[in-house]
Amino acid sequence: MQVPAPLDAMVQAIRRDADVISARQMGRALAEDLGFSRPDQALVATAISELARNIVVYADHGEIELTTLQQGDRQGIRIIARDHGPGIADLERALCDGFSTGNSLGLGLPGTRRIMDEFDIRSPPGEGVTIIAVKWQLR
Amino acid sequence: MREVISSSLSDSEGKPEFDQDLVDAMRWFDLSDHDRALTSELGDIADDVGERIIEAFYTHLLADETASRHFRDDAHIAQVKKGQMRYFRELINADLDSSYIADRRRIGSIHERTGVTPTLYIGAYAFYLNKLANVVLDRMEDDPAKAFSMVLSLFKIAHFDMALALETYADTREEAIKARERELSELPTPVLQLRPGLLLIPVVGTLDSYRARALTIQLLEGIQEHRARAVVLDITGVAAVDSAVANHLIQTMAAARLMGAQPVLTGLSAEVAQSLVKVGVTAEALSTAGDLQRGIELAEHLLGE
Amino acid sequence: MTVTVPILRQGSALIASIQEDLCDSDILNLQSRILEDVIRYRANAVIVDVSAIGILDSFGTKTLIEIAHSVKLRGAKMIIVGIQPDVAISMVLLGLTLKDIPTALDLDHGLALIGET
Ligand SMILES: Nc1ncnc2c1ncn2[C@@H]1O[C@H](COP(=O)(O)OP(=O)(O)OP(=O)(O)O)[C@@H](O)[C@H]1O
Ligand SMILES: [Mg+2]
Repeated sequence: MQVPAPLDAMVQAIRRDADVISARQMGRALAEDLGFSRPDQALVATAISELARNIVVYADHGEIELTTLQQGDRQGIRIIARDHGPGIADLERALCDGFSTGNSLGLGLPGTRRIMDEFDIRSPPGEGVTIIAVKWQLR
Repeated sequence: MREVISSSLSDSEGKPEFDQDLVDAMRWFDLSDHDRALTSELGDIADDVGERIIEAFYTHLLADETASRHFRDDAHIAQVKKGQMRYFRELINADLDSSYIADRRRIGSIHERTGVTPTLYIGAYAFYLNKLANVVLDRMEDDPAKAFSMVLSLFKIAHFDMALALETYADTREEAIKARERELSELPTPVLQLRPGLLLIPVVGTLDSYRARALTIQLLEGIQEHRARAVVLDITGVAAVDSAVANHLIQTMAAARLMGAQPVLTGLSAEVAQSLVKVGVTAEALSTAGDLQRGIELAEHLLGE
Repeated sequence: MTVTVPILRQGSALIASIQEDLCDSDILNLQSRILEDVIRYRANAVIVDVSAIGILDSFGTKTLIEIAHSVKLRGAKMIIVGIQPDVAISMVLLGLTLKDIPTALDLDHGLALIGET
């Protein structure tokens, strides 16, 4: 499933762990440009970092796409993390605090869901993982 | 309806040229040049009786104690009367263009700020229209059909006017409420330095999520600014602590701890303690003290003194 | 591009000041160098200064915890200093804790904490 990229989207290919840094710096810069508070900038960067790292570790490669959203008088940042790796068989379990097949803390996905305002994860069999997460600006 | 009107006005100021939105808004009220032409013919009558109607209105108004409180003194009343004369004269024969609309909208926000309620405003309007219409029908006894259509046209414009003013009235009111809420929630929580290294933060009032966030940032920045090694968060004065707020307080204290400051929570009521247990907090995870005095002692102890 | 974090010695303590966002391999590299230096210089304390870091995600935190535990196994203690307010907030919201690793506001407080002032 290929979601068409909106015109104002920024895309960062994720192949190596250096790309994780580029992606989260891009996210922070965007959040700063949009006038997000300092803590919210950090939250956006952290979410991107988690999603991008999962791509490197579990799917080998994929991409992070950032889009600015407008709703009424407030703006938001939409993060789409997309890969065509092995996918996640049990999404519910992957979203539990502490669940990790990578001997890590297992907080990346559940934590990202907590710090973002909207979170949607899909992993149809054979199609990798697509995560859409949105953070809205606080008025 | 809201769209039609407000979009016609959004950029109407200082733009006298052809304006599609204005045309749309007038169409909604079924207003045409014909209406304007008709009411213009009322100019003489209106000028003739306008002042008298307004005088009568003020007698009526000032008899009401609440309403009369709007006025500081006679000079103030005279000034408002003059404004009203102008207002009604424009109603009769001003061009219905962008600047007219901008002016009518301004009235709404002035009313909101000065406490002129919709009842007062529409009441005054009704008083004027009523009196004027009667005079018109009287004086045009020989052509009642024409008199009637003139009055109808006048009513159309009046309704158009009122809609404009009330739209801004509501917008201004909404903004004012938002601003007040923002002010309240930004009510700064004092960060007090009891002595070097020890901060006290007495939280008072309601902690909604917005203010709780602000509190967190104030506390953490306070730690940095005062180079604190312990901080006492006193919630004796917090009205209600639901589990969301309790959770937030715990997170704030965890963040303080990450920054190297020992957090102590004091002033927990029995209910709050219960909320904390509900969000899964155990006594070991959190330094708490029953009252402020013991909280400060505990913080000093944690500082190693 | 790899970033090598400088590790300084002050008395019997080691100070690693992370100057910029590190990628995962840089953090792993830091981990092994700290452990080597603890042995080589018989250090009894390690201070990791993260004040220049804009975020600490789960991987970074996990690695810091691992470093602290290995340092402890070698008979020294480790403290983390300089976590910034917004970094602290994100960590907490993400669900990250530093377990029992001591923290301090900045390098000065960290040195005071380990008795090296
Ligand atoms: N893009 C992905 N492709 C395949 N599996 C994934 C992907 N992302 C996450 N997973 C699976 O979901 C689990 C949970 O992910 P999560 O990010 O929450 O934890 P983690 O990566 O194991 O640890 P942490 O993120 O705390 O370092 C992973 O262990 C992995 O099994
Ligand atoms: Mg992960």
